Amino acid sequence: MSVPPDDVSRGFSRRSFLKGASVAAVATSGAAASAAAGPARLADEATRIGPGEHEVELQLNGAPTKVLVETRTTLLDAIRERAGLTGAKKVCDRGGCGACTVLVDGEVTKSCMMLAMDAVGSAITTVEQLSADGEVHPLVRNFVACDAMQCGFCTPGMVMASYACLQRRGKPTREQVQRDLSGNVCRCGTYGRIFEAIQRTAQGGGR
Amino acid sequence: MNGEVELKLGFGNHAEKRKVTVPDGDAPAWDLDTRLRVVGSDADRVDGLAKATGRAKYTWDVQLPGMQHALILRSPVARGRLVKLQYDTARAMPGVSAIVRLKDDGAKVRFVGDEVAAVAAATLAQARDALDAIVAEYEVEAHNVEYLDHPDAPVRDDTGHVIDPWQAHEGIDEAMAGAAVTHDATYRTEVQTHSSLETHGGVAKWDGNDLTVWCSTQATFGVRNELAQAMKARGYDVGNVTVLAEFVGGGFGSKFSAGREGYACCALAREANAPVKLMLDRFEEHTCTGNRPGALMQLRGAMAADGALLAWDWRSFGGTGFNGSGGGVTFPQHYLDNAQRRSSHRDLPADTDPARPMRAPGWPQGYFAGELFLDELAAKAGLDPLEVRRTNDPQVIRGEQWLMAAERFRWKASRNPKPGSPMPGDDARWLRGVGCASARWGGMGSPGRPAHGITCRIHQDGTVESRSGSQDVGTGLKTVLAVLTAEELGIPVDRVRVAVGDTRDPSGPAAGGSTVTPSLSPAVRHAAWLAKQQLADLVAQRLGIPKEQVTFADGKVGAGDRQLDFATACKLIGPNPIEARGQRFPNNSTAFNQGVCGCQFAEVLVDSWTGLVRVTRMLAIQDCGLVIAKKLAESQVLGAMIQGMGYALHEQRILDRRSGRMLNGDFLRYKVPGPADMPEMEVLMMTVANGHTNTGAAGVGEAPSVAAPAAIANAVFNATGVALRHLPITPDKVLAGLAQRRGS
Repeated sequence: MSVPPDDVSRGFSRRSFLKGASVAAVATSGAAASAAAGPARLADEATRIGPGEHEVELQLNGAPTKVLVETRTTLLDAIRERAGLTGAKKVCDRGGCGACTVLVDGEVTKSCMMLAMDAVGSAITTVEQLSADGEVHPLVRNFVACDAMQCGFCTPGMVMASYACLQRRGKPTREQVQRDLSGNVCRCGTYGRIFEAIQRTAQGGGR
Repeated sequence: MNGEVELKLGFGNHAEKRKVTVPDGDAPAWDLDTRLRVVGSDADRVDGLAKATGRAKYTWDVQLPGMQHALILRSPVARGRLVKLQYDTARAMPGVSAIVRLKDDGAKVRFVGDEVAAVAAATLAQARDALDAIVAEYEVEAHNVEYLDHPDAPVRDDTGHVIDPWQAHEGIDEAMAGAAVTHDATYRTEVQTHSSLETHGGVAKWDGNDLTVWCSTQATFGVRNELAQAMKARGYDVGNVTVLAEFVGGGFGSKFSAGREGYACCALAREANAPVKLMLDRFEEHTCTGNRPGALMQLRGAMAADGALLAWDWRSFGGTGFNGSGGGVTFPQHYLDNAQRRSSHRDLPADTDPARPMRAPGWPQGYFAGELFLDELAAKAGLDPLEVRRTNDPQVIRGEQWLMAAERFRWKASRNPKPGSPMPGDDARWLRGVGCASARWGGMGSPGRPAHGITCRIHQDGTVESRSGSQDVGTGLKTVLAVLTAEELGIPVDRVRVAVGDTRDPSGPAAGGSTVTPSLSPAVRHAAWLAKQQLADLVAQRLGIPKEQVTFADGKVGAGDRQLDFATACKLIGPNPIEARGQRFPNNSTAFNQGVCGCQFAEVLVDSWTGLVRVTRMLAIQDCGLVIAKKLAESQVLGAMIQGMGYALHEQRILDRRSGRMLNGDFLRYKVPGPADMPEMEVLMMTVANGHTNTGAAGVGEAPSVAAPAAIANAVFNATGVALRHLPITPDKVLAGLAQRRGS
């Protein structure tokens, strides 16, 4: 039995094709991925995975987290629906808006465009990590101080893209900020103030 | 019983004392002489940290034990009838817990995306599998998704200009015949989708016959009533209905109704005997939740040599949707006091998703046409378009704004003296220009029926609560509650806990028409003011001072040198908190201005090789009565400018005429402004004391969205010398315009 096609009634999407095709890919590359991850669920190349759910372990904000996923489950759905971290938002589910931005091994990643199984063995950082243990990152404080939000639905993704920009560039220019944030959309129109929050943080402003 | 007071109203050099009749029992009205401590300051958004840390729970984030996930089956045909719907197979599939029909056999199908049935299952993937297994058959009829192909649409020439003759009108015909300059042009706008980032939808949970619904909505109370009625009408036993919307991921006018998805969610939850979440996906959001409709607008008019408008003849056509209404437009009327005028409008249906209100519904369309028309007239007359505006604009507030903005924006120096040619110092490839436009809106708020309320509680432990059942869609209601309550009680803003978006709290307006802040702010003050009286009583007794002398300031309560810390004073309260219900009284009859004024200036750089338009600078000056939370008010204006930029340059729904389906129903192909598009932007908020309520606050959501597209279109006209009369101004239109200009 093959994985049921995703969303055919609404038109054939690029990602539904990827989701369908990835079963085979996982079966061959799973060994390498899981070797790093530790748990042996995927270790046996002969193991057939899916349809239906199975357990994988994600390294989520530094903690090994076991979640039930299908082969077609995106990293975003695994984080939100299975691990219960709802900071990353589902807005377009197609890599067009950045609201689901997380870091995977430090790289800005649209978590709706990655399958959960492909993230096994990688370090995943979500927006929740920037206020873990009651310590709020200066960038997050500056988002508030600059009022870099309105409805707030894009904000977690913006925070993560901004965080990655700062990690990578230290003191970015405005042009670099604009380029680094280009994958993220804010419908309320808060961009200028997000740029300001990043600049303030780069200059060492704690709030 | 009403009293009369004298208030200092207006602004700057236009301040004046006026006698104002105020409601008996209301908190004393603020005016220009009131010294405010927190109001108007740079207070932070009170739920900012919750949003920026990801802790804020939106409807999309609600997770309940046993919760089922739902999807809607939608029509793939634009017009026809549903003839067969079979879902026995789907119902029996793994995980499927309920299926409800949303259309009867034989019912009309009215657009691609029309709701047919809904499925709930244990996981979204299972629901999707089940959706694919439902058999729906349709009888297909010929459709038309282009309103300008409707038989009643006006006849146009190859350029899109309406060529139907104008009906005679004595005053207009006479003014046109004798005028120094006349002009006749046709303008057009395309469909803009709201594109709220949080899609429509809800989570429904039944407890016996009581229903709780988390809903991404701009109208908690409207949705509550709508769902109760819809469920009862379908024979469900319905007890109490509670709607919850603490955080809402945008709305912009599209979220006033629970929609078919709201009904479906509640019905599925009842049938499944479990909580159900039904949130739309992005394609559904673009195609099934309304839009700002397109418009075709023709204008002819006349101007005297000195710039005075003499005639304004307007006819417009609105593209709507299958329902054939909601396409109305509004042009700038404040220039027309001395002009002969006439206007007519007609909505034309098409087999598409119906229009919904969107941020100043109809105004950005009409202002784009009207303000560009004004610049075209000015160009013909050889006049500065800013001077033409000042000549015709009688509004005293905007009169100041035009001057202030012109200076700050360096209008004269920035204006391209030879439109179509590069500015001195620029490379030959680049065409630069600037434009301006006016903004106008009402937004004075209203009392509501029954009157809106606010609950204020002061607790023994020194905490204060301010509660409204109304919703905060990102505009800042929560911060408004906290700032006003803190001001009234003389305490820090972080001492106030606020709650919104729960219909068990006092009712408030829907977030539409820029009405929430002006409608609720007087009630917030009233509630805090009433609660304050009760605390003043206790403090007066304790300190042995007359109650009338008790003041609340700087965290102290008392009189003269006899003061208690606010927290100490609260210890006098006892276990039952002080609780007061503030009320929204009717607006005072006298007001300095019945609305808000603004203006915007834009500078663009046009690439004559590629046709790409880049906005390089924008400035807005905006009045919203009393500014309560400055940063938040500025944010709204900035956002409106950016949305307006999208409307002017990028955004358009593209439908496939043959299938009736939207071709760009996602964020990859429907382009909203992104970080790389951002110009340098500045906003100046202008406080005007109107005296219409005890706060004098007006709304700010809509007005700034009215001016932005027009200002940008005018800037493109100044840069290129071509009036591009069809939004969005995409590169193809720019190149065609430049080529035509070179050829002529």
